[in-house]
Amino acid sequence: MTATLKVMRAGPLVTIQDEGRFGMLRHGVSASGPMDAAAFAAAGRGGRGAIEITQAGIELRVDSGSCVVGFGGADFKVKTNGDKQVWPGSAKLNRGDTLAITPGKAGNYGYLRFDTDILIEPMMGSIATNTRARLGGLEGRALREGDVIALDKSGSAAAVPSASAPLSDNHIRVVWGLHAELFSPEIRAGMLQASFQISTKLDRMGVRLEDKGGVFTDATILSLVSDAIVPGDIQILGDGTPIVLMRDHQPTGGYPRIATIITADLDRFAQLRPGSSVAFTSVSVDHAQRILRSVQP
Amino acid sequence: MTGFTGPQTHPVPTIVPMGDSALLVRFGVTLDDAANRATIRLTRALDLNPLAGVLETVPSLVSVLLRYDPLVISGSMLAGELRLRLYGLQEIAVDPVTWQIDAVFDGPDLAEVAQAVGLSENAFIAAHNSTRLRVLATGFAPGFVYCGLHSKDLVVPRRKSMRPPVPVGSILFAAGQTAITATEMPTGWHVIGRTSFLNFDPMSERPTRMRAGDIVQFRVA
Repeated sequence: MTATLKVMRAGPLVTIQDEGRFGMLRHGVSASGPMDAAAFAAAGRGGRGAIEITQAGIELRVDSGSCVVGFGGADFKVKTNGDKQVWPGSAKLNRGDTLAITPGKAGNYGYLRFDTDILIEPMMGSIATNTRARLGGLEGRALREGDVIALDKSGSAAAVPSASAPLSDNHIRVVWGLHAELFSPEIRAGMLQASFQISTKLDRMGVRLEDKGGVFTDATILSLVSDAIVPGDIQILGDGTPIVLMRDHQPTGGYPRIATIITADLDRFAQLRPGSSVAFTSVSVDHAQRILRSVQP
Repeated sequence: MTGFTGPQTHPVPTIVPMGDSALLVRFGVTLDDAANRATIRLTRALDLNPLAGVLETVPSLVSVLLRYDPLVISGSMLAGELRLRLYGLQEIAVDPVTWQIDAVFDGPDLAEVAQAVGLSENAFIAAHNSTRLRVLATGFAPGFVYCGLHSKDLVVPRRKSMRPPVPVGSILFAAGQTAITATEMPTGWHVIGRTSFLNFDPMSERPTRMRAGDIVQFRVA
């Protein structure tokens, strides 16, 4: 099968992603890849790549050929040719069919995966869109109305979606970070006692938190020598604003980083909507790694 | 932070976890020549002879990030393996490539920088180009390189305000370093010139040409 899909409508920051462009951090390019890696995997193991949709969703029309689409991640509403379908799920789409995805109850990111590869020339080994470096995907940018996405003919397997993790839990585990010792014991304790809120300033590069309790208001630390960044790092800006750095993070940073969200919780954190509260618990690196081993198939 | 005791030794690093899948080997907490040299040596050693379970090695100015697979090796095991490698660091050859960078020194901040170091513009350009610099680090942005370190009498602080995005190939100067941009970016550094040298090609297997440790010689084009 081969197909071309036309974007009839796209919400903001809808991008093409694959597993990520790893190994390029020394060249100044963060890995990108899905904001919710587990949901990306659960949306079906078919061809290469996925369309990562954001809250407002997307509408696609099949202009030629046919394909099987798997959809999953977060909670969205989905219709094919105007008929309601179950989310997560899958559908066979033929020429002229439409797929419309609209906001659901929870979460920020969903994934559309196909039975065949998304046809884009890989850049540094990946087709993932990096919104910071403006490369990968379609011209390094978010999808917009009128874009055409081509699917390859060499299909490997049908997309078979499975349910992803529940999204209601707002307890996020961290390990203390690179500069934790630069913060006073009071501030570190305060970070674990306070409740933060996900602000409206969030994208693939980072999520700003609202610190209504003022935990970091007086945490003024002079600028530091730049070190490499990993996704999940929580950096504190000069004005005390906490930012969690996400998949399209800046490669290096000179603001102090107090903690890092553990790998097992980063997908769930990415799905927290603006206005959600978030509470942090600290765990040891060993504990975080035991969790990772226990969740691996 | 332990200092270094002589020219034949390197600063003793601290090894700090960054989350559950990375370690940072930190030779210093401020930019200094010995820490940067050790950072480059360790990176070269790990590039030539990778440690099992390490997925990516990322040198910065004075630290090396090791991203690893915790399902293959634990953080504490990896830290132990790393400490063994650090013993042999002095024997690692860096084998630098020398790059001649032809540049036009006509940047909007050239006059201000020359004045700040008490030289005429031409004398500043001559002083700037008289030293072979080292690529201290890559990775701040695609293809971006920090080169240094200049002698103390050429050190000026960053600008007080940020400039809106400057073009690809801008030559930036501040904090004892010269940097070359390979993408458009806003900057708080002084813009002293420009070059047609492009250090980033996203279609290449190795998208940046210069590596940390390489030698850079600037020349008036």
